[in-house]
Amino acid sequence: MSSSTTVAPSPVQAPQKGWAGQSVPRKEDKRLLQGEGVFVDDVKRHGMGYVHFVRSPYAHAHITRIDVSEAEAVEGVYGTLTGEEVAALTDPFFQIAGAPGGQIKDYSLAVGKVRYVGEAVVAVVAETRELARDASELVEVDYEPLPALVDARKALDADAPVLHDDAGGNLMWHGSYEWGDLDAAFAEADRVVRIEELHFHRFNSTPLECDGALVEYNRGVGQWTIHTNNQFPGFAAIMMGPAMRVGLDRLRFVTQDIGGGFGNKITSHPQLVVCCLLARKLGRPIQWTEWRTDFHLSMSHGNERWFHDTEVAVRSDGTLLGFRTKALDDAGAWLRYEPLGGVIWAQVTPGMYRWRHIRVDFTQVATNKAPVSPNRGYSRMQHLWFTERVIDIVAHELGLDPVEVRKRNYIRAEEMPYETPNGCVYDSGDYARMLDLALELVGHGEIETRRAEAAARGRLLGVGIGSTLDSGTNNFGQSRLINPELQFSGNNEVATVKLDIFGEIVVTLGTTPQGQGHETTAAQVVADILRCSPDDVHVRAGHDSYWNSHAGFSGTYASQFAVTGLSAVKGATEMLAGEIKRLASAVFGGVPVEALELADGGVRIKGSPEAFLPFMACGAIVNANNAGLPEDLDVTLNCRYVYRPPFQVPDVERKFGNLTLTYAAQIHAAVIEVDPETGWYELVDYAAVDDCGSRINPQIVEGQVMGATAQAIGAAMHEVFEYDEDGNLLTPNFYDYHVPHALDMPPLATGAIESPSPFTPLGTKGMGEGGGAGIHAVCAAVQDALRGHGDAIVWDSCNPYRRVWEMLEHPERSRALVSVT
Amino acid sequence: MSGFASSLPVSVTVNGTTYEREVEARKLLIHFLRDDLDLTGSHVGCDTGNCGACSVLLDGTLVKSCMLLAVQADGASIETVEGLSEDGELTALQQSFSDHHALQCGYCTPGMLMSATALLRANPSPSEAEIRKALQGNLCRCTGYWNIVEAVKAATDA
Amino acid sequence: MLLREVVYAKPVSIAEALDLLAANEGARALAGGQTLVNVMKARAASPDALVDLNGIEKLRGIDLGADGTLTIGAMTTYAEIMASAEAKARPILGEVCAQIADVQVRNRGTIGGNLCSNDPTNHLPPLMVAVEARMTVAGWEGERTVPAGEFFFGVYLTAVGPGELLLRVEVPAGKGDGFAAVTLGADGTCIVNAAASVDGDVRVALGCVDAVPVLLRPGSADAEAVRAAVRAAGLDPPDDVHATAEYRAHLAEVVAVRAAAEAAERAAAP
Repeated sequence: MSSSTTVAPSPVQAPQKGWAGQSVPRKEDKRLLQGEGVFVDDVKRHGMGYVHFVRSPYAHAHITRIDVSEAEAVEGVYGTLTGEEVAALTDPFFQIAGAPGGQIKDYSLAVGKVRYVGEAVVAVVAETRELARDASELVEVDYEPLPALVDARKALDADAPVLHDDAGGNLMWHGSYEWGDLDAAFAEADRVVRIEELHFHRFNSTPLECDGALVEYNRGVGQWTIHTNNQFPGFAAIMMGPAMRVGLDRLRFVTQDIGGGFGNKITSHPQLVVCCLLARKLGRPIQWTEWRTDFHLSMSHGNERWFHDTEVAVRSDGTLLGFRTKALDDAGAWLRYEPLGGVIWAQVTPGMYRWRHIRVDFTQVATNKAPVSPNRGYSRMQHLWFTERVIDIVAHELGLDPVEVRKRNYIRAEEMPYETPNGCVYDSGDYARMLDLALELVGHGEIETRRAEAAARGRLLGVGIGSTLDSGTNNFGQSRLINPELQFSGNNEVATVKLDIFGEIVVTLGTTPQGQGHETTAAQVVADILRCSPDDVHVRAGHDSYWNSHAGFSGTYASQFAVTGLSAVKGATEMLAGEIKRLASAVFGGVPVEALELADGGVRIKGSPEAFLPFMACGAIVNANNAGLPEDLDVTLNCRYVYRPPFQVPDVERKFGNLTLTYAAQIHAAVIEVDPETGWYELVDYAAVDDCGSRINPQIVEGQVMGATAQAIGAAMHEVFEYDEDGNLLTPNFYDYHVPHALDMPPLATGAIESPSPFTPLGTKGMGEGGGAGIHAVCAAVQDALRGHGDAIVWDSCNPYRRVWEMLEHPERSRALVSVT
Repeated sequence: MSGFASSLPVSVTVNGTTYEREVEARKLLIHFLRDDLDLTGSHVGCDTGNCGACSVLLDGTLVKSCMLLAVQADGASIETVEGLSEDGELTALQQSFSDHHALQCGYCTPGMLMSATALLRANPSPSEAEIRKALQGNLCRCTGYWNIVEAVKAATDA
Repeated sequence: MLLREVVYAKPVSIAEALDLLAANEGARALAGGQTLVNVMKARAASPDALVDLNGIEKLRGIDLGADGTLTIGAMTTYAEIMASAEAKARPILGEVCAQIADVQVRNRGTIGGNLCSNDPTNHLPPLMVAVEARMTVAGWEGERTVPAGEFFFGVYLTAVGPGELLLRVEVPAGKGDGFAAVTLGADGTCIVNAAASVDGDVRVALGCVDAVPVLLRPGSADAEAVRAAVRAAGLDPPDDVHATAEYRAHLAEVVAVRAAAEAAERAAAP
């Protein structure tokens, strides 16, 4: 069960090769390895009160009475907060949607009604964690239960329970997308493949650290300091400020080490508002630790999506002309980052394929389940899973080789940059070459031999391919396709780079890394420009609003750091380099800037190494010894740069325009063996090939690929947030929600190619979310294993043993979903 | 109810330092370490004893400190991640983790290090299968485990 | 995650432990804690008092008698059973213990705790039934021996009544045993398990399908006979997120056949 990789840990090379492209050891490691990381639960304040949330046991109910008096009477309990208070003190959260979804009133505690099991109703604060928990049991809440809506397919039925009267029904958002000429495509088609229903399941990445915060309120200046692990402070601030009726500068976000995010730490703003209100009300710091069960019940489920009445137009030779489908997205009880999921999939409308005629009818509904929020691969993963299922099912039904169908239909390297039917531009890539590499790594040539050998042992062997795009650096203008009234567009990220008084190079970022190694890769970029070593570059850990090193979209999400963050770093460093040279020019008596170069920790005249000004001298002159400098010398050596990707506002009418700047890709191949007696199966071989453009730190990139692969394997085989018909979550903890461990992993071979992006300053592409390819690959492998044993169709993205067994026992059930004419 | 007490005096040695505290019987060892002793290197990742982020060595035995009461550690000698390195010098195992990129967010890392330490003390040259079995009780969501296994393997050659 | 208030005592002798358990009706024995502490964290059950058995040396240890009977103290951990030379007299014991959870759990979890909690997904209850173990229980009347087939009543309900303690488990020597399970991932939460023993008699004990292990006597270890015995048992297994009743019943047949086949093979081996 060994793994082989393309990236060995490398001793750092000589500087003339450049630091970019080297697997420089991580700066973050030293503190993390010694248990000296600072995660939010490590932060303590004298007199802090621990908060515990009283949560709804019902999926849907009116709240008829709340009585906190008994809880508040307990010695050591500092106070409580109820929805009634929240409704008086705050305004409902801003809604991204227009009507009808935009009419719902979302507060940070339930007001009048609860809409999912686990929804927070009352907050109790006490001297110790245990006491807060005990006191919460003394809070009396009376409920009047209502019927629960758990199946999104029934959400729009006339007799469906309605979650939000303000919206007049469970429809949250609807949009129709159509490009090309579908009638012509279907007329031209030799075959039409119909798939009645496909289902992408509800799960998320369960970062090992749950959400949390420690919030302090400075009454004198009306300022909150929010120590937290929220991974998108830009979004949190925009949500919290108006709700709390305060300016955004009153909310200082501080993060340092974050124990995984994967998108699941974007929508904690409701709990943060509760902590802020409590800090002000009780006059003491408020500490919130979210426990695993709380997280599973209430946070960030990934979008659950159905695809109904799919029709695919195909030529006999396997050329795919187009498809139409009806996407039904289950948003859960509240729209927190939704309905952006309704447009974000369109970043990758055709997947990796050349079909031009596409229609997607997208409906998003509310149900009595936890609210969804971005999960690694957010909304693109669901859509790409759909396109990969279509490819495999078409190949399966028409008796074609799924490898050949992909190669025939993949967008070609020579077509890059490629404009998709809806105006997105895939910057670069060579999917066919990646596929060949993945097949080679997984030993595809010997598959039939292996299949026969497995059969002799009573096992069914299957091989599957999953290809996926990782679109990165959003154009937030796509939000206008959801709601034309919104005033968002473009994107940005900020960095500052300065020389301190003793010449220390200090960098601040606007991002909130959760293990992606930002300190390290930023230092590599700086070192290349300032011609020093990454060890000479001090990058501050984490994020702090007080550094003024952030902008509206700052955070770490959506596969963009290598583009937005590092481009901001590049820009700031180049500004600094320019200033250093202008300073030196003045100091050297007017030597032209072109005659100067940065080297050896300073700046010198090219060809005259004695004329050398070390960084220390530069820093000292500007900060403490600046008399006599020319009046017009505009140099501060403290450079702040805002990177702005080149975007236009999309055409809202045609739903056309570039929605993301870069398109990384991953292609995975999985080999499984199924025990036909039980439906149990295991992965016996696996290959993952990545292309994220220029790699600043190959080892860090590969680490992301591996981690995403492991998550995809877990999601494909075991991980699901499943509800019973009353809206109870059946997998509320790690006992029933099985996260794979070290023994569950297959041997892994990784490969990489680099197709630099022509659109980014460093040729990089954001990456980290392409691991969804693993879900596609495992689904395809399961279907392949069952070929000739009933020919069941894999129609769900999660295939635990029980489902595989059912496909073996009753293939007719899934086969009934597919028809070919 | 003679013999029973709701809080008890506890004397426990952690990484060589002895602490004496009065502790509620119901307090979990992990909370005692993190909240009472300010040793925040061991982490909490779940509430059902599955994730192993809280793993420590108790009298040389690897345990999950979320499934022990603090009072049960009375008289014991505990080792946590903070006790592995001395004066900021990484051990060979820790350095191997860094070399092999066996950590990303670092949250599972203390538990992984304690499990690997327990393994290597009992079995200085484990096979890959033995390493995986030894790490079975430590969940990671960032790395997929491959690099962690490599790091432990490489540390045995040191 | 946070326990309710509880009182705690750590006796040094069995007699003291029995006194403490008798003194407080809501008292519970704390063995390895790998189940009980989690139950208390979830507040699914909150005993008023805990009697920590970890200080009672007489409850530990594995003894191999001259007649080949293994006597295992109730507080013996899974890890100790796996490492024990004596326990190799009945190899299936260590092999099954090695499939329980993970290293950390095996270092603290005990055979006594596993049997007395009798979670339907535990491995040791069906195993003890299959190997015809005998449990020695101590109460205010003294000690008595209960055969495994009469030990289990329901979840957390065994022949060990309030105020009583499981002292030790006796297992006859033997090698004709088998075990099969289907779990979530390797050694994960168990969906279905079966233990089998062949020694002139053929016994197959199923776990996970009822509140207590279901003992079958198929007459032979042949697949057909075993399957017939499973079907004749009229199982009504639980329906949960991991398996429908129908799937679980099917899996029960499969693991029963596999366990029996392994037991027969090992019984026949020299």
